[in-house]
Amino acid sequence: MNDDVNPDGPTHAVAVLEHLARSLVDDPDGVRVEVVDGSGRPQLNLYVTEGDMGRIIGKRGRMANAIRTVTRAAAARDGLDVDIEFID
Amino acid sequence: MEWVEFSASSVAEARERALDELGVDETDAEFEVLEEPRAGLFGRTRGVARVRARVLPRAPRPKQERPRKRSGGSGGGSGGRKRTRTSTSGESTESAAAEEQPEPSNSNGGGGGQRSQGRDQGSRRQERSTMEAAEQEAVASEFVSGLSRAIGLETTVSAELTEDNDLRVEIDGSEVGLFIGPGLRTLDALQEITRHVVQREAGDREYGRVVVDVAGVRETRRTALAAFVRTTAQRAVDEGTSIPFEPMSSPDRKIVHDTIAEIDGAESTSQGEEPNRRVVVRPA
Repeated sequence: MNDDVNPDGPTHAVAVLEHLARSLVDDPDGVRVEVVDGSGRPQLNLYVTEGDMGRIIGKRGRMANAIRTVTRAAAARDGLDVDIEFID
Repeated sequence: MEWVEFSASSVAEARERALDELGVDETDAEFEVLEEPRAGLFGRTRGVARVRARVLPRAPRPKQERPRKRSGGSGGGSGGRKRTRTSTSGESTESAAAEEQPEPSNSNGGGGGQRSQGRDQGSRRQERSTMEAAEQEAVASEFVSGLSRAIGLETTVSAELTEDNDLRVEIDGSEVGLFIGPGLRTLDALQEITRHVVQREAGDREYGRVVVDVAGVRETRRTALAAFVRTTAQRAVDEGTSIPFEPMSSPDRKIVHDTIAEIDGAESTSQGEEPNRRVVVRPA
């Protein structure tokens, strides 16, 4: 596996988070991911169109957790730990 | 799908027991509370909770809509919606055709009660159509392939709707271990998301039970778990003690129960509540 830190940041994680979100929402064009650099632990903020957030969060947060899990696995390809936040 | 019925001192406990029996995640099960314990004097409860549960039916066999590889017989070419009863081949075709009976037209409503005897359920089932197998497969494999591309991996993704109505998605390639994660957590998360993607595309239509696997790891793990359970159960029998397993998901607990059921002199129960519910094996 690739343990080197990706000099371009969490690009794989961002691409994965975008793909997951776009596949789940009604308005794929409304999906946006923002990367906020923390000290060695970037935070990915996911924005979706109002009304689509329910699909992203899911019942009792199950979908949100699943999205976090898969996105974090992708971040391992970037050699990074990331936080994922869903912004209403 | 069969309903199973369970009684316990609380509704939650009865649900847990039902999930153990069905061996599915709670999102794949449907519950009906038949009876709740009544509040008795001094906050005690009297009576029992009765719950019935079943695995969510995800499509009553899309037989007619799908050109299936049938053994023998060329009966009924590609699935036009209305299948005429030309074939003489026998029962399977007959019953398939019978299920496909056209909806009774509205005009025969006549007078009286709209709801004639027992037709309710049948007609409701008919109203819910099934997503074409090819479309289910395409949606699932495109989603997972797209994920592979986003993650930058070379993979082969295949999807197939099986005879058991499982929509099986298989991922193979190098470095696919990334999709598995500790305790299959990443794989289970991916499976959950894939299910929702298919569900979203399906809309009101029925679709198969989504199973995502990487390099056959689910089967491998199942075999390993069963072997571990057999060893542990034998130790419980030999030493005359009960031994708890670590907390597991409902599908895993089902594997444990089923394995122990085949061992002479051992029996199993489940204890605790999700997500810390665990199986305990003890001498029978």
